[in-house]
Amino acid sequence: MIDAETAELLAHSLRRAFEKGGAASADAALDEVGWCEALAAEGISVVPLLFAEQGAANAASGALDDLMTAMLGVPPGRGTAFVLPEFGGGVMPGSVRNGDLAVRGLGTARMAAAEHAVVVTEEHRAAVVETASLRIRPVEGIDPRLGLAKVEGAGLPAAGARATDAGWTEALAAGRLALASEAAGASRTMLRLAREHAVTRVQFGRPIGSFQAVRHRLAECLVAIEGAEAALAAAVEMADGEWPARVPPVPAAIAKALAGRHARTVARHCQQVLAGVGFTDEHDFHHHFRRVLALDGLLGDARTLTRELGAELLRTRRLPAVPPL
Amino acid sequence: MDLQEFRAGLDGWLDEHGPELVPPHGPGVTLDAEMEHLSKVKRLTYEAGWMRWGWPERVGGLGGSTLMRAYLGEALASRDLIEPGIYSMTEVLAPTMIEFARPALAAEMVPRLLRGDETWCQGFSEPSTGSNLGSLACRARPDGDDWVVSGQKVWTSLAQYADRCVLLTRTGSPESGHRGITALFVDMDSPGITVRPIQAMHGRDEFCEVFFDEVRVPGDRTLGEVDGGWAVAMDLLPYERSTSLWHRGAFLRQRLEHLLASPPGEALDPADLGEAAQLAFAFHARSRATQYRMAGGERLGPETSVDKVLLATTEQAVYDLVADAAAADVALGDDPDGARWRTEFLYSRAATIYGGSAEIQRNIIARRLLDLGVDR
Ligand SMILES: Cc1cc2nc3c(=O)[nH]c(=O)nc-3n(C[C@H](O)[C@H](O)[C@H](O)COP(=O)(O)OP(=O)(O)OC[C@H]3O[C@@H](n4cnc5c(N)ncnc54)[C@H](O)[C@@H]3O)c2cc1C
Repeated sequence: MIDAETAELLAHSLRRAFEKGGAASADAALDEVGWCEALAAEGISVVPLLFAEQGAANAASGALDDLMTAMLGVPPGRGTAFVLPEFGGGVMPGSVRNGDLAVRGLGTARMAAAEHAVVVTEEHRAAVVETASLRIRPVEGIDPRLGLAKVEGAGLPAAGARATDAGWTEALAAGRLALASEAAGASRTMLRLAREHAVTRVQFGRPIGSFQAVRHRLAECLVAIEGAEAALAAAVEMADGEWPARVPPVPAAIAKALAGRHARTVARHCQQVLAGVGFTDEHDFHHHFRRVLALDGLLGDARTLTRELGAELLRTRRLPAVPPL
Repeated sequence: MDLQEFRAGLDGWLDEHGPELVPPHGPGVTLDAEMEHLSKVKRLTYEAGWMRWGWPERVGGLGGSTLMRAYLGEALASRDLIEPGIYSMTEVLAPTMIEFARPALAAEMVPRLLRGDETWCQGFSEPSTGSNLGSLACRARPDGDDWVVSGQKVWTSLAQYADRCVLLTRTGSPESGHRGITALFVDMDSPGITVRPIQAMHGRDEFCEVFFDEVRVPGDRTLGEVDGGWAVAMDLLPYERSTSLWHRGAFLRQRLEHLLASPPGEALDPADLGEAAQLAFAFHARSRATQYRMAGGERLGPETSVDKVLLATTEQAVYDLVADAAAADVALGDDPDGARWRTEFLYSRAATIYGGSAEIQRNIIARRLLDLGVDR
C-alpha cells in the first residue's frame, strides 16, 4: 500500500504533468514521474491516484495502456499500446481463426504513435502485433480530446500469442478501477466549476448558491461522487498488494458502473447550475461532460454492467462480497 | 481484545446461542413482544461480555475499539436476531450520556441501557418543531435546584416503554433559538408526564406524544451546559448517522439476500437488482470508512450527512425492489413473510424523514461541506 506522503508527491507531479496537455507530453510526463515503476512497486493502490488526476485535468495519456499491458504480464512502455474492447462492451477484441488473428476494438491516444499493440484474444492469449499492420482510424466522436481510435485488423500472425499471466478478467477489472477513478476525477472538476459559479453569479440580488434548488443539486452531486469514490476505494482495498495484482472483478465492475452513472448525474446538475455559460464552447464544462460520456463506454458501460451484475446475483442468489469491518 | 478476536469469539458464541435469540415474527407479534425480545438479546450479550466491549470502563464497558460495537450490531442484524431501528437507539443515546452527563450519573445509568434493563427515548421533535429544531418550545424553568418542565413532544420513538428520556427544553427566551436550549435526562415515571402512543403507518405503535405538566427534574440531570443543549443535539446527530446506520446497512443486506434466496426473488428485474446491490455496496464502503474514523477518535460531523443520504436512498431502493418483485406478498400476503415485507416496505418510507429529513441533510451538505454560505 502506498503511504500518504508518497501519494501526495505523486499526485502533485501528475497534476503538473497533466497541466501541459497533449497525449504525447502526458506520456512523456508519465515516464518522468515513473508511472510504470510506481505501478510495479506500489501495485493497484496508485491507480486511483493517477487516474483521478487525469480525469480532473481532462488529460489523455497511455496510462490505461500501461496498466492493462502490465496486468497481462507484458512489459509496458510508451511504444506499446493496448487494444480495448469495442465501445460499451468488455469482450476481448481479438479472435483467432485458422491461425489468423483478427482484431476489432478501440485504441487510446497512444495508439497512433505506438510501435506495438497488445491484443487479447477470446482464448485469453495476449498477442503483440505491429501497429503498422493494423487499420487505425482516429474517431473524434463526442470527446475529441480523448483521442480514441478505431482499431481493426485481419490475417495477422497469431503465432507469438501467449497465455496471459493474470487473466483478461483481472486486467479488465484493473482497467475498470482506473476508468472509475478517472470519471470520479472529472466529476469532481464539474462540481468545482459549478460551485464556483454558484457563489459568484448573482441573480435577484443574491448569489444563485443561496437558492435552495441550486444548493440541493450541488449537494446531490457531492453525494453521488462520494458514494462512487467509497465503492471505488473498497474495490481497490479488496485487490491484493501483489503485482500484477489480483483484482476481484465484481467490486471493480460495481465501482465502474457507479462512477459512470453518477458522473452523468453530476453532469446533469452542474450543467443546470452553470446554465447559459456552461452551454458555451468556451466554458470548460463541456470537456468534462464529454469525457465522462466517453469513459462510460470504455470497458463496459454502466447500463451493461448493472444488468450483468443483477443477472449474476440472480444466478448465485447471493449478494456480492463486501470488505469485512 | 481486538476486532479479530472479538469477531471470532462472537461468531462462535452466536453459532451456539443464536437459536435462543431468534425473535418472534408474524402478523400476531406485538411491539411488546419485540421489546421483550430486544431486552433479552441485550441482557444475554451483556452477560456474555459482547455488549460491553467498545464502551468505556467508567460506564460499565470493557473498553477497546468502537468497531466492536459496530460489529456486534452487524452480526446480530445479519443473523436476523434484531431490528436495528429499536436496537441501535443505544448507539445514539449512550454516547450522549457518556459525553454530557455527570460522570456518576453516566456510570449509574448507561449499564442499564446496555444490559437491556431499561429503554430510553429521545425527546426532540414537537408539534410545531420538526426540522427546525432550534425553534422548540417545551419549557424548563429553574425552581431552586430543580427544573420544572411543561410542554409537549411528539414522534418520540418507544416513549411508552421508556424509563428515561434525553429531552431538549427551552430555557432561554422564546426567541433565543439554538442558544436557549438545555438538554435534560428525565425519568419517565416522574409525576406530570403523560405518554400517548401513536399508531404509525406501518402498523406499529412506533412513536408517541409525550406531555409534560409541571414535571420536576433535578438540576443534576442537566446534560452539558445550561443553554448549551444545542451542542448536545449536534453531537448526538452524527452518532445517529454512524454506528446505527452501519447496523441498518447490515440489516438491509440481510433482507435483500433473503429476498434473493426466496421465491419472489425469481421475479426481480436484473437491472433494478443490480442497481440496488451497487447502492448497498457503496453505502457499506462509505459507512465502513466512517466506523474507522470514529474508532480512530475522529470527531464526526456534517460529513455523516452523506452517509445518511446514501443509506436512505439504498433503503428505499431495496424496498422498492421488494414492492416490485413481491408485489402480491406486500399487498395481500397474510403469512408471516408477506406481513413482514409489508411492514418493512412501509417503514422504509420513513428513511428520508427521521434523523433529519433528506432535505435537511442536503442543506447541511450544501452549507457545511460545499461551503455555499447561508441559505435564505
Ligand atoms: C419513524 C419515525 C421515528 C421518529 N422518532 C423520533 C424520536 O424518537 N424523537 C424525535 O424527537 N423525533 C422523532 N421523529 C421525528 C423526526 O425527527 C421528524 O419527523 C423530522 O425531524 C421532520 O420533522 P417534521 O415531521 O415536523 O417535518 P417538517 O419539519 O415539518 O418538514 C416537512 C417537510 O418540509 C421539509 N422541510 C422542512 N424544513 C426545510 C428546509 N429548511 N429546507 C427544505 N425542506 C424543508 C422537510 O424535509 C419535509 O419534507 C421520528 C419520525 C419518524 C417518521
